[in-house]
Amino acid sequence: MKKCEITLTVNGEQLTTMVAANQTLLEVLRENLGMTETKYGCGTGECGACTVLLDGTKPILSCLTLAAAMDGRHITTAAGLARDGQLHPVQQAFVDESGIQCGFCTPGMVMKTVGILARTPNPSDEEIRHGLEGNICRCTGYAKIVSSVKRAAELMADQSAAE
Amino acid sequence: MTAYSTIGKSIPKIDVKEKVTGRALYAADLKMPGMLYGKIVRCLDHAHARVLKLDLSVAAKMPGVVKVLGPDDIKAHSYNTGVLDLMVPEPVGKMLGDIEDQTVFTKHVKHQGDAICGIIAHSEEAAERAAEKVIVEYEPLPVYLTAEESMQPDAVQFTSLKPGNRAFQLPGEMFPNNAYGWGNVDEAMAAADFVVEDTFYVPKQKQCQMEPHAYIALFDDGGRLQCWTSTQMPKCVHIKLARMFDLPMSRVTVTQTVIGGGFGARLGMIGEPLACAMAMAVPGRPVKVLYTREEDWIASESRHPGKYWMKIGFSKDGAPVAVDALFRSYKGGYYTQGSGVAFTTGSWLGGMYKWGSCRYHGETYYTNHAPCGAYRGYGNPQTNFVMEQLVERACSKLGVDPVEWRKKWHKGVGDDGWCPGVTYPSCALDECLDRGAAAIGWTEKRAKYANQTGVKRRGVGVSVMNHTSGAFPMLLEHTTCTARLNEDATAEIMLACSDMGQGAHTALQQIAAEALGFRFEDIHIKAGDSDSNGFDIGAHASRTIYVGGAAVKSACEDARKELFARAAQYLECTVEQLTMRDKIIYLEGASNRSISAQEICARGVYNFVDAASGQRTGIPGQIQGYSSFLPTSNSPPFAACFAEVEIDTETGELTLIELVNAHDVGKAIHPASVEGNLEGGAQQGMGFALTEEIYYDKNGLCLNNSFTDYKMLGPSDMPKLTTILVENPDPLGPFGAKSAGEAGIVAPIGAVANAVFHALGIQIIEAPITAEKILEAIKKNGGV
Amino acid sequence: MSSRVLPDFELLMPKDLGEGLQLLSRHGSDVAIMAGGTDVLVMMKANYRSPYVMSLAGIGGLDHLDWAPETGLRVGALTTVDQIEQSGAVKQHYRALWQAATLFATPQIRNSATVIGNLLRASPAGDCSCAVLALGGTVVLESVDGRREVAIDDFWLDYNLTARRPDEIAVELRLPPPGKGTGSAFRRLTRTHEDLAKLNASARLDVDGKICRTARLAMGCVGPTTQRLPKCEAILVGKAIDEALLKTLDDVIQSEIAPIDDKRSTAEYRRAVAGVLLRRTISQALAD
Repeated sequence: MKKCEITLTVNGEQLTTMVAANQTLLEVLRENLGMTETKYGCGTGECGACTVLLDGTKPILSCLTLAAAMDGRHITTAAGLARDGQLHPVQQAFVDESGIQCGFCTPGMVMKTVGILARTPNPSDEEIRHGLEGNICRCTGYAKIVSSVKRAAELMADQSAAE
Repeated sequence: MTAYSTIGKSIPKIDVKEKVTGRALYAADLKMPGMLYGKIVRCLDHAHARVLKLDLSVAAKMPGVVKVLGPDDIKAHSYNTGVLDLMVPEPVGKMLGDIEDQTVFTKHVKHQGDAICGIIAHSEEAAERAAEKVIVEYEPLPVYLTAEESMQPDAVQFTSLKPGNRAFQLPGEMFPNNAYGWGNVDEAMAAADFVVEDTFYVPKQKQCQMEPHAYIALFDDGGRLQCWTSTQMPKCVHIKLARMFDLPMSRVTVTQTVIGGGFGARLGMIGEPLACAMAMAVPGRPVKVLYTREEDWIASESRHPGKYWMKIGFSKDGAPVAVDALFRSYKGGYYTQGSGVAFTTGSWLGGMYKWGSCRYHGETYYTNHAPCGAYRGYGNPQTNFVMEQLVERACSKLGVDPVEWRKKWHKGVGDDGWCPGVTYPSCALDECLDRGAAAIGWTEKRAKYANQTGVKRRGVGVSVMNHTSGAFPMLLEHTTCTARLNEDATAEIMLACSDMGQGAHTALQQIAAEALGFRFEDIHIKAGDSDSNGFDIGAHASRTIYVGGAAVKSACEDARKELFARAAQYLECTVEQLTMRDKIIYLEGASNRSISAQEICARGVYNFVDAASGQRTGIPGQIQGYSSFLPTSNSPPFAACFAEVEIDTETGELTLIELVNAHDVGKAIHPASVEGNLEGGAQQGMGFALTEEIYYDKNGLCLNNSFTDYKMLGPSDMPKLTTILVENPDPLGPFGAKSAGEAGIVAPIGAVANAVFHALGIQIIEAPITAEKILEAIKKNGGV
Repeated sequence: MSSRVLPDFELLMPKDLGEGLQLLSRHGSDVAIMAGGTDVLVMMKANYRSPYVMSLAGIGGLDHLDWAPETGLRVGALTTVDQIEQSGAVKQHYRALWQAATLFATPQIRNSATVIGNLLRASPAGDCSCAVLALGGTVVLESVDGRREVAIDDFWLDYNLTARRPDEIAVELRLPPPGKGTGSAFRRLTRTHEDLAKLNASARLDVDGKICRTARLAMGCVGPTTQRLPKCEAILVGKAIDEALLKTLDDVIQSEIAPIDDKRSTAEYRRAVAGVLLRRTISQALAD
């Protein structure tokens, strides 16, 4: 096939779109669906700016994923984490800990953090750093990003305690 | 201690919500009706060649192609992507030898990635496909990868304007004998009790800002050229584009999009000339140009690499009686910031220690690398790597503690800074050294690691640095700011200062709130619009808070003055009798008499004529403060950095254990941002020292044009970071602030290199200090 | 130059293995087979072109990771590196592979990339490949003509070249069950934590009491493919491994490696540290 119609559930919303065989998920999100919160930083899977979540908690690289192979799958982007203007606890943690500078890596970092915490709700420093590999930040030296992930773990724990 | 309402508080930055949701709009995120895509076709197989034939005919017929453009289709002046030509008076520029040697498309390829032609198409894919059909025939030319090669008399000339391919040396008219400095170095060196000397290599480091370069340009129906770009110098780009395309500035608009990191990569122009040239060819249609990461790598500027020779003479008591140095850098294919780095590299040297005499030669030669331009630190990282290692060598010969030596011999208040005649107004370097040493456990660790055996060896090292707060008096320093008070007593602050992610706009908003006496949330910063923003030289030289902040402060004080003058009129008193609390202005001692700022502002705007009296009902006019601020000072920051490393002597692998970075920041307007900047700087500085360099093969083709093979320190590589903000308010900076933008990168370089020296007793004089170099050095040394 | 846009190709999305094999029998060498896509798509953004790309994503039953004490480990064509990392059985019984998986690339890549894909890439720097070579085992290749098993020792023919025929799909990797005294390890040298290996090594040792009964040693970046180190293995077999014995490997290994020279490191350096890395890997395997 050269083209096909796929249905993606993006941030809980079912969207059907025609994609070319050679379109990546990143291009489809950005160009076809106008969801520019997922970024192109290198296009070759090194920088992590294009990270989205597959099935809610699994970080994947949208620049190295063919859109046509994603038919029927659930995708979450950074913009989709926030609901009704209310930031997700992970996003709030990045705000609280000043883990954001130029912001270009931030959506990917947020996605990755959700992934880390889904698997390791209470990660050690080393686990956080190992988990953050594959998301490059050139502004922060990672110090405040690591503290953001720690803070996110606390906020997520508070949230589940409240629920 | 002055009590501030917002200054010194790490409130959430103004752009965090849009960034954390990904909704902030970077240039690549913009889409416009009728938008076309521009693809730049670059020479990839040669680093030096002449274009013999360019055949665009097949490409032009490809589906979706709107237009193809070769060098002869471009009507634009040649240009210089750098901005130094705007920062000095024309005669000085002539003396420096600043030239415009770049064209949109070229027939003489001077580095891999040089632009040959452009394709404009309906989609990115159509442009890509057509680009594959461009036929170019090249005549390969000899490739020069060092100054020593390109300076040879028979070398191909890069430009007729620079004989011998010497792009720049310090001009004799300004610097006698083409050297910066003072005193008689030859005599002092001869009289010295001992000297240390070596030739170092400093690497070609890449900024690696996370947002690849991206542009939209439009030559609109009104005959105006518009450009959307994440440049860090919107006003310089504004005038440069106007000059390039022979348009009045009133017919050029630069809209600054959110900047995904700069670090010097966006200092001046990069792809703006190409995007605009393409847009000029299709009037009425926006053209979007998106760089790949590889393109960003091979076609945008980097740090100046090269050979750096230095010799320092000392007397027995440790006095540095003479320093003599030559930094000969490899310019790459174009001039760009040719005169800048070659000069400042020496000025950081001159500004650091109480040298009895000083002589610095700076020169740069064309080579067939991607051009070198501005990168955070602007010559200071190079000097730190060299100077601090030589000082360390001397301390070891003298048998003195490196911290104590630095405390004794660094320059301070009243000494000349990097520009002779301009003295340091403040200096807290001693406190930086003391607090940093205490934090890392300097004394204990130096002793503990003195006699190690075994495979793993540890070491601690120290380094100090000075930088700058703006470029006064060497270069033009100017920021204009308008503070317009709305009728509800909130304020719009308009200026062209850039926020590259470092939090500058938040800090400027804090300064505005403090200076006006308004709440932080009453202020809005309007920047990035060349139509409404007045002049600002742009983000460079760590000037935004020191100069831009002072401009904001001055404009806000102007507005506040008018507000108080009106209050005095309303309350029938003098300005001196008034105080403002919560935006209500009180007549002191008569607290029942007051007027709100809101009422004054509203009555100025809604200034009705009373029907009965025929008189105006208040003082008319919207209040607007203004400042066209030209600083008369420079308050450089200092820093002391301490690093601890562990080296595996069997493999040469180095592990970073800890880094303590103590910075003399004057006053931190937004402490979390200052820390974040310094921490990010540390990552880049340690990268310079250990892992980062662009490599080329013998043909000048880049071997590591991606994050796969250009390695930066990742989260697991970073050591424990301790950032100490030493606050000792500067007498001249706005609210006591000095700069903290670039500075973080500098001192970690020398500190890491000196920690290696301490661990092994060997100095590695070529950066980056890789495992390969360490192991080789150990071998050469016959072990450790 | 690399492109932001993938080249044009026809995407094949077979629904089951049979259909996939049929497509391969028809288009053979014109097909780039894609599992996780993390290698194929990167190569396509550079200069690799293929008229057809076949995604295995729609084929069910290829993402298995089965362990049994009698038969060992079975790894499917779509089994990701992350699945390996998360598997308690792999961690316990195939320590080398588990260690390679935890160090392999980045979390996102591990979520998509497959172990078999790493073998098929046939790069001398492959981390999982190095571990698999030390652990031994076979790759199951299937075509319309049937199945065959190729021992991992015979799988890599040259740089970027494997024993897989164009009409075959590598459907499974089989690793033999470890014995009672089997230990294994993987180590590598890199420029930064997240990196492709400058040099990697893996060892599987079967130790009886103190005596090493069999040894499989593998090293990457010392030739066109990841390779065994038979001379070093021979030194270990039948002996009690101690520091002195290990030290002798420093010299022995020199005669059986021809390190590559590339942007990540030099041949000279690789040669200088090969013995060190090997010793450390063996010690780590002994401690497993």
